[in-house]
Amino acid sequence: MSSHAWRPVVVIVAVVIAGLVVRQMIIPKDFTAKNGDYKYQWHRASNEDEWKRMEPKHMGRDFCQQCHPDKIEAVADSGHQHVQCENCHVQFDPEKRGHKTIDLKADYKYQLDIGIDRSRELCKRCHSQLKYRPSVYTNFSKGPIPFKMIDPEKHNAGVECVMCHDVHKTGFKTGVK
Amino acid sequence: MKLTRRELLKMGLISICGAVIPVSAFEVFKPEALASLIHPFSKKKRWAFVVDTTKCVGCGMCVKACKLENDVPFYADIQRTWVERYVQRKGGEVIIDSPRGARYGFTANDPQGRTDVPEDDISKGFFVPKLCNHCEKPSCVQVCPAGATYKTEDGVVLVDRKWCIGCGYCITNCPYFARFFHPVYNTADKCTFCYHRITKGRKTACVEACAFGVRKIGLLNDPDSEVFNIVKTERVAVLKPEYGNEPHVFYIGLDHIVR
Repeated sequence: MSSHAWRPVVVIVAVVIAGLVVRQMIIPKDFTAKNGDYKYQWHRASNEDEWKRMEPKHMGRDFCQQCHPDKIEAVADSGHQHVQCENCHVQFDPEKRGHKTIDLKADYKYQLDIGIDRSRELCKRCHSQLKYRPSVYTNFSKGPIPFKMIDPEKHNAGVECVMCHDVHKTGFKTGVK
Repeated sequence: MKLTRRELLKMGLISICGAVIPVSAFEVFKPEALASLIHPFSKKKRWAFVVDTTKCVGCGMCVKACKLENDVPFYADIQRTWVERYVQRKGGEVIIDSPRGARYGFTANDPQGRTDVPEDDISKGFFVPKLCNHCEKPSCVQVCPAGATYKTEDGVVLVDRKWCIGCGYCITNCPYFARFFHPVYNTADKCTFCYHRITKGRKTACVEACAFGVRKIGLLNDPDSEVFNIVKTERVAVLKPEYGNEPHVFYIGLDHIVR
């Protein structure tokens, strides 16, 4: 056996070994196939914790109750009892953003932007009349009630809903009828 | 050792028969497979979701809450959950749309932006919220060349943002179009069942934001969970069962025009 035949073999073996060594170094140590399931569970195990570590942002009514118990009480007794504060009070529009009295982000580590949106568009998301919108609200604590829907073009077009309606108590504002 | 012709043929036949039985033929003897025959609902911890389409009004608050919670850019047309509107006209024509993923809700009768669909001409219509189905056999996971997407032990399909190379195979391979390319992280992204919330004992952002009780999340193996009781006692269906993905988002009131 002459040496010229062995040289490429040595080179190939060296490349393969180098490749395997590099692979060992690059692939994280915690790559596992849980339950031996290489098809669906082959992953970096620590990634599960990375997802778990994320902080919830949508804090729900309990968070708002810390400072606004009166509002929560009014809402809890009304037709809007299952509407979360954040549905209406979280804002994307930069002009409407900002909590008036305190900085929620600094003082409460609350990450969303809170503001007030009084537009008709917001109310129309649930209350504009559509034929294919369920007409009975079954989730109400005092039993099923008809779901209030209006034709936004005929029902006082151009006027803000909150001019007459108290959205926290779900009804007319005092003095309006 | 001496072999007679009879012995040779005998042993040959036995070994051939043995060789052709695939390993999968023994699968029925796997303990968990047997257990699932005895208990139709597995004892394994498994997250599942229920959507009651009969209650959905199409307000899109779930889409808004999800986008906020999970850092999905609000003004981009990508979403982890979205709401579809199905309108069938009396002539049989079906109009399906989901403007901006319904993040601003459905506020007018304008399916696909059309104004030529009067209410009198609609024979039926409804809203169908959609999200990742967290399949038992996720076809998106199977095609990942990097091992960057996987199913956790409790049945949630996640994406490893550090390991994803952004090839997009999973996005094209999901039969439910639940995945998209995240423009900030430059990886594939999808609904995580709010894994950071459900593992802390909270509900997902979309469930919390829904005022109509349309969405429910819970453990499918927990006899006390609402999800378990609905799947056990009510008529539920899944989307596109023909793909064999075994989706774990169960729908109440699903119609045949839903895709």
